[in-house]
Parts: sequence; C-alpha cells; structure tokens
Amino acid sequence: MTSTTDPTDRHPMTHPTHPPTHPRIQAPTPPALDLAGVGHRYGTTEVLDSLDLQVEAGSFVAVVGASGCGKSTLLRLLAGLDRPTTGRITVDGAGPDDLRRAGRVGWMAQRPALLPWATVRDNVAMARRIRAATEHPTDPVPSVVDLLTIVGLAAFAGSRPAQLSGGMQQRAALARTLAQDAPLWLMDEPLAALDELTREALADDLVAIWQRVRPTVVWVTHHLGEAVALADRIVVLGPRPARVVADLTVDLDRPHDATSPAAQAIVRDARAALATAAIHARAGVALGGAR
Amino acid sequence: MTRQAVAADHRAAADRARTIDPSAEVAVAARRRSGRLARLGGVALLVCLVAAWEVGVDLAGTPVWIVPAPSDVAMALRDGLGGLAEAAVVTLGEAVAGLVLGTATGLSMAIAITFFRHLEQAVLSVALLAKSTPIIAVAPILTIWLGFGHGPKVVVTALLTFFPMLVNALEGFRSVDPAIEDWFASVDADAVTVFRHARWPSSWPFLFTALKVSAPLAMIGAVVAEWMGASGGLGRSMWLAYTNLRMPDLFAAVVVLTGLSALTYHLVTVAERAALASRRA
Repeated sequence: MTSTTDPTDRHPMTHPTHPPTHPRIQAPTPPALDLAGVGHRYGTTEVLDSLDLQVEAGSFVAVVGASGCGKSTLLRLLAGLDRPTTGRITVDGAGPDDLRRAGRVGWMAQRPALLPWATVRDNVAMARRIRAATEHPTDPVPSVVDLLTIVGLAAFAGSRPAQLSGGMQQRAALARTLAQDAPLWLMDEPLAALDELTREALADDLVAIWQRVRPTVVWVTHHLGEAVALADRIVVLGPRPARVVADLTVDLDRPHDATSPAAQAIVRDARAALATAAIHARAGVALGGAR
Repeated sequence: MTRQAVAADHRAAADRARTIDPSAEVAVAARRRSGRLARLGGVALLVCLVAAWEVGVDLAGTPVWIVPAPSDVAMALRDGLGGLAEAAVVTLGEAVAGLVLGTATGLSMAIAITFFRHLEQAVLSVALLAKSTPIIAVAPILTIWLGFGHGPKVVVTALLTFFPMLVNALEGFRSVDPAIEDWFASVDADAVTVFRHARWPSSWPFLFTALKVSAPLAMIGAVVAEWMGASGGLGRSMWLAYTNLRMPDLFAAVVVLTGLSALTYHLVTVAERAALASRRA
C-alpha cells in the first residue's frame, strides 16, 4: 500500500502506552437535527411515511424498529447519502449534505468497512487525512496513536483488519470515526454482528467516549436492551412505511443499568408500542391496504 | 469488566494470528500429498498418450510428412534447438511488447470509464468492434501497412489482449465492498481518493485473472501475425516447415510455443500469489 505515515501523527510507531485518560478529543458543537414530514420510497416501495422528529444537540437517540422498517434508510437520509422523497431534513439549519461535505459525519455500520489491504493505523490515518482537508490548521488534533490507545488497539496499529476479531475491527472503525472529529455520529447497528460479551464491553467504552466527546448520536438498532443501555431517548418506528409510534425518554443515571426495573419498564413500553403498531399494520393489510 | 473483555479479545486475535492448529497441519500435508499425486497422474497420462502415438504411427506406417512420431519431433527439437531458441526469443519479445501495450490500453480505457461514466457506451462499443474483428483478417492488412518487422506483431497482440484487461479491470474497479463505498461517501471522499484506496486495490484479483487469459493469448497473437509474413520468430519457423512439409520441425515449434504459453501463465500465477500475499503480511 501507500505511505503509512500521517503528517499529524507526531508519535510514530514506537509510542509508549499513552494514558487513555488524556485524550485531546473534543468534538466541535454538536448539531441539532430536525426532520419534518420526511417520506422516502425506493421505486414503488414506500419506506418512510411523513416522519417528524427533532433531535437535540449532543443527545444520544436510539431508533428502534423491526428489521426492514426503514431505520437504515433514515440514517442514509441523515447522512445525506440519499435524499428524502418528501419533507425536509435540517442539520443545524442547513441540509445534511453540508456536514457530510465537510467530512464531519461519523458513520459506523454493522460491518466495520475497514480497508482490508491497509493496516489499522492506515485505516484511521485515512479518515484523519480526509478530515484534515477541511479543518483549520490550528485545530488541536489527537494523533492516530492516541486514537488507537483510546479504543484499546495501540498494540495492533500495524495489524490488518483480517487479523483482528470482530469486536476489535469495530474498535478500529470507532477510532476512525473519532479521527474525523465528527460532531454527528450515525450508527447503523454497529454492535449487531458481535458476541454478547464483546458487545457489552464495546458499548461501555462507546458511552464513555461519547460522554467525553459529546457528539449528537443517532443509533439504529433492533435490540431494545441495547437501546436502553446506551441512549437518552428511544424513538420507536412502526413497520414499513415507518412512522414514529413511540418516543420514550430514558431518564436514568449513567451508566444505564439495563436490568433495573426502570429500564425494564421502558423496554416493556417500547415492545408494547412495536406490537401495537404491528397489529395495526396487519389489520390495515387485512382491510385491503386502507391505512 | 470492560478491560478484561478487551484483553480476552486481544488474546483471541493473537491466537488466531499465531497458532497453527496441528490438525490443520495434517490437513495441509494431506492436501499437498494429494496434489502431488494428481500431478503424477497427469504426467503418467501424458506419457501414455505419447507412447500410444509412437506405437500407433509405427504400426499404421503413417508417413512422417503427415504425422511424425514423437521420436521424430524430439529429434527435430534437438537438431533445431539453436534456431528454435532464437525464434522463441523474437516471438516472446513481440508477445511481451504487445501484452504491455494491450494491457496498458485496456487498463487506461477502464480507468477512463470509471471516472467518466458517460464514456462507457462509446468506449465499450469501439472496444467490442475491435475485439470482434477476426484477427486473421486484420493481421495481413497490418503487415501490408507496417511491413515485415515487429510492428504488426505487437499491434495484433495488443488487439488480442486489451479486451480481457478492459472488461476485468472495469469489473474489478466496481467490485468495491458496498460498506466501504458507503463509508467513503459518508466522508465525501473525492473520486481519486476512492480509486486509489478502494477501487484499485479491490481490482487486483480481477487484473490477474485478465493477465492469466491474455498472457498465453499474447503468444498466439504474435505467432498468428508472424504467419502472415515475418523475418523471424516461431510463426515464421512454423510457416517455413509447413510449406516444405517438414512436419517434425513444425511439431517441434508447436512444442516450444506450448511450453512458452504454459510458462507465461505460470509466471502470472506466481506474480499473483506474491502480490496478494504482500498485502496480507
């Protein structure tokens, strides 16, 4: 591959273990999101149906719903990767494209999407390079080694993704997101492909990092336990074409204990909302599609 | 808890990277043994065929100017080795030059199409036209235009080899993992960055597949062009032997050509293995 050195990486290769408690990471002002009557269709398939949703700046919102209900589509719209068929999305008053064009949207999907032929260091450095094109030269930036230390991968900087476990690959993807210094994180079930122990460990670290960096996070999942463990707020989407069927606040002390009675109550509410929406949708189909 | 899980995770990955499972080793050895057996079987079959040919020609009393016996061919090979080697060098040189030209052309076309989608129809139509024209019809015309030198051989070879590279490279550049494409889109990476870091490395297996087709094809291209008139090369040796009904010489040239084609294929395979291994290390 090409050159492995990153101009912003001031601690090459043999860097002593950096205290992870001194990260110089700080996201710039996180954006507020506003979706007004957003609908989307692929061909004749209606995926989203006039969705209204406001997301506060710096909040952690989980979007839950059954598989295929349009959660991922919502995320693509927020990232500006697709355009809504109807309605309007604003990110701090501007279109979602503006933030993406500045390289400021953190995007993590179920698969880590690392470049298999590049080392972990190069994968993270790539995000930093793309980001560097839009940043102020005086902005304080953490080095790639710092970022890998934060996610616990400092010893694996020279490894290729295939040499890492699934959890470690997602950690590398997280370091890449951090390298972008992104004030908005769009997460499409990034823990879904991991085993339970790895998932819990990574989720804990993610929340810790989120609390330090404080970006606005939209976290898509179909796992209600995960949603209540991570998010401040859970938005429940009904079956396709999706609309918001419940909007629940997770008013718990961090770290959230997903097994606490309060958390379980929220999970029950979300499950009830999903079940009701599914029954309504089936009834609608039974009545000849009239909704 | 978190730290422990991370440590366990690290250990698992380190194990994966370092440990060799003894049962896996046994399996590898078994596979190697069965591979060797298969190769021995191939050689045995070849020996049987050659022996049957020798005996068959002898029993039937077939004249040597129709079907020479393998022993005649071996003799011709031994007697004409100097001339055949000289001819092989000429043909190999033309084939390599044509292959380089064809590969460069095919690759450039694929890159152009990748960056400028609207060129696709036009470029592919012209390429298909060039590919579909019978080379046997084009070669004499090129000989009239460009003479008996190396020029027409190189052009014919390039005409024959650019197309496999074009279609495979195009396919390769488009074979990027959609998740990786999404990530690049999410950071609004420009087309050059995406090409350099995703499309180009993704295409390697496709490029080697193209070379495996086009490298032996290059030998054929050069020889066909030499048949149409040349001052040297295996094609000329074959033509001379053919017009004088010296069948053992003709067969000897064919044996050399076949060997060279197989060798070029093998070289591409070795290069492929080395290239793909280099980025796994």
